[in-house]
Amino acid sequence: MNRQNAAETILSVENISLSFGIMKVLDDISFDIKRGEIRSIIGPNGAGKSSMLNVINGFYHPQEGSITFKGETRKQMAPHVAASHGIARTFQNIALFKGMSTLDNIMTGRNLKMKTNLFWQALHLGPARLEELENREAAEQIIDFLDIQAIRKKPVGKLPYGLQKRVELGRALAAEPDLLLLDEPMAGMNSEEKEDMSRFIIDVNSQFGTTIALIEHDMGVVMDLSDRVLVLDYGKQLADGLPDEVRRNQDVIDAYLGVPHEHA
Amino acid sequence: MNMLDFLFFIEVTLSGLMAGVMYSLVALGFVLIFKASGIFNFAQGVMALFAALTLVGLMEKFGFPIWLAIIGTIAVMIALAWLIERVMLRQLVNQEPIILFMATIGLAYVLEGMGDILWGSDVKVLDLGIPQGAWEWLYDKGVYIEKLEMFAAGTAAIMVAFLAVFFQKTRIGRALRAVADDHQAALSVGISLHTIWVIVWSVAGIVALVAGIMWGSKSGVQFSLSLIALKALPVLILGGFTSVPGAIIGGMIIGVGEKLAEVYVGPFVGGAIENWFAYMLALAFLLFRPQGLFGEKIIERV
Repeated sequence: MNRQNAAETILSVENISLSFGIMKVLDDISFDIKRGEIRSIIGPNGAGKSSMLNVINGFYHPQEGSITFKGETRKQMAPHVAASHGIARTFQNIALFKGMSTLDNIMTGRNLKMKTNLFWQALHLGPARLEELENREAAEQIIDFLDIQAIRKKPVGKLPYGLQKRVELGRALAAEPDLLLLDEPMAGMNSEEKEDMSRFIIDVNSQFGTTIALIEHDMGVVMDLSDRVLVLDYGKQLADGLPDEVRRNQDVIDAYLGVPHEHA
Repeated sequence: MNMLDFLFFIEVTLSGLMAGVMYSLVALGFVLIFKASGIFNFAQGVMALFAALTLVGLMEKFGFPIWLAIIGTIAVMIALAWLIERVMLRQLVNQEPIILFMATIGLAYVLEGMGDILWGSDVKVLDLGIPQGAWEWLYDKGVYIEKLEMFAAGTAAIMVAFLAVFFQKTRIGRALRAVADDHQAALSVGISLHTIWVIVWSVAGIVALVAGIMWGSKSGVQFSLSLIALKALPVLILGGFTSVPGAIIGGMIIGVGEKLAEVYVGPFVGGAIENWFAYMLALAFLLFRPQGLFGEKIIERV
């Protein structure tokens, strides 16, 4: 969408390889994400898409390769440190705090924006109280943005699936991330919910300028939303480029249509 | 039922309630740790003993005034929490709950030994100036209630109110609940599990200190104090392992139940019901409502 002015690289992944035992999950993957773009990662099931996100936010530690985020190069990083550097995410199988209300989930997303120490927190006085109010305001803005005012106080475990996905997006947005990782934000949604979610993603990207890395199976959605698309298959990098280029790429078509390799 | 009988009934019920609160104090420590990390902390009773021993030791051996001894003991419990996280929990990340449970059994022995080496194994008197004896105002009306137990009940009420606000309304409280709900999601919003564990074990250590003070004032600081953890078990089964209010109400039900059963049913079966009533009640709950009164329904093969 704003590909033209997205010159600066926010994240660059270099020669990442990840294996679990003898299973090679990612094999020498390199790509970059430019500030302000929507970058999709696609591929058949088991291609390593989620693993790639897990590497970026520090859940998985790759055996080889390095990641440069906002100019800082690292081999691996603890997830809560990645979060503090400005990486937020949602999960393929919703990982909300099910016993907590929508508001509390989003407030928990602001965890890193709140700094008062245990002492003030325990007394629930002074700076802690002020900070609570300020962050509450920010949380309410996100609730308005996602149009979920009606479920503010409801425990999220009891909400329908589509709304849970939306709350999870809200929790990630609450951190005001530089890079937002969305792992199949539209999985299991009907077409109306998908439209809503697509609109939110576009709005997040254009209004807040948040860079987004997106895993999605719905090709229509991917082609519409993405600035650039990375294709993985069996842990290998199959293609990388503009949506149109990727769509016409013979390897990609083969991978998706399942052309037998011996005849290919 | 004449007036005297009625007063007696009130007296038994009230003293049961108060005794129950004492159980609740111990159970509370279990709930905190179980909620935040899914660990059943076998050492909770020993932590109460260790805290009480440290408190008495600081006062007797070092001549600390009461307030300084309490602050000192809190500092020791926080240091202990930090050590437990470093030496034990951090090494056992992602292990089965049963392994962590076994580790807490080890911790119980270590703490008991440390208490013995540091402060000696003789029975100690803990006198913090908490009022003792009958509460005169009620005693005049014909009901005997221990002042100490009233004090314990008041302290427990304040502590629970404090914990409720802390859990519901603060960032760290939310982070604690978040970790209890979903580790991965908690990590993804920037919560450090290690920090949270230190905080939870510190809070559980302070709760153990309060329980240790109350029980120590009542019956002296001695090593059998660690066995009060056994009485906390039925309380937990009743109230649910994950519920703070459950720990309080479970304690009260058990306290009142065993006193009433002792007084009114005891004579027909030869007495001593107080010793097993709680466990029978727990057994009944395990059969018919294993998640307890307030716990979350978790179905799991153990």
